[in-house]
Amino acid sequence: MRDSLSRRTFLKSSALAVAAIVATGSTASASPLPGGPDDEPDEDVKKVLREKFGDRPIRPGHVTLDTPDVAPDSREVPLLIESDLPMTADDYVKGFHIVVDHNPDIYLAGFNFTAAIGAATLDTRIKMRRSSHVRIIAETSKGALWTTSRFVYTSLNGCV
Amino acid sequence: MRGDTGQGKILLPAKITRDAVINIRALLSHPMLTGMSRDQAGIPIPAYFVNDVEVTYGGERVAHFEWSSGISRDPFVGFSLRASKEAPLTVTWKDNKGGVYTASADVRFTTTTADATG
Repeated sequence: MRDSLSRRTFLKSSALAVAAIVATGSTASASPLPGGPDDEPDEDVKKVLREKFGDRPIRPGHVTLDTPDVAPDSREVPLLIESDLPMTADDYVKGFHIVVDHNPDIYLAGFNFTAAIGAATLDTRIKMRRSSHVRIIAETSKGALWTTSRFVYTSLNGCV
Repeated sequence: MRGDTGQGKILLPAKITRDAVINIRALLSHPMLTGMSRDQAGIPIPAYFVNDVEVTYGGERVAHFEWSSGISRDPFVGFSLRASKEAPLTVTWKDNKGGVYTASADVRFTTTTADATG
């Protein structure tokens, strides 16, 4: 029973992932946002962002995210994050925040830095429950918030 | 449970010059269980994951990470460090069951002689 259920879930999620890939293939050029289809966060994500950052504006720019468009293994999705913001003693990137819209923990992790690190770069691996936007928010020591997002397609639940 | 949980490792570049921004890689053996999966008998497997990581350089805290169980098993993190002094770099990982794991590596500047001879 469990086997047939998991097989069905797998087939369903695979079919959805393929359908999603086909769908974006035709609409990608129409989407003005780099994050892929419908970059606008939903209410749950907005709530998390409000709790974390209050009403401070979060603007696109100054942070880049390199990750596969289609994750081969949703238990280990590699993220490479970089920022071109200054890294001086009185103006530096205080942290990178990782937000995954459709994960059980929407706020996945926070990486806090001091000016001593010299450059704001981060390389790590995350789990994803299903296809979702992955959002990075860079926070500066002066309180500015910069963001980028990428839509990552997955086929299996990687939240084990 | 695997026997190697808690084995930490820090990798530094082979060549380090004063004030260069170097790449640090830190790896820990840890299952990073979300608490949402079940074992073969259908019994839920409790959450067991690293939630706090501190990086010190010469005793001074230079970075601090707050994780959920969404970080992958055997958590890996790569980040930068300005090699401003010869001092130990220490990473301390703490998990939700009270486990504390530490790994250290010494930041040492490569001498000119060593540079010349490769």
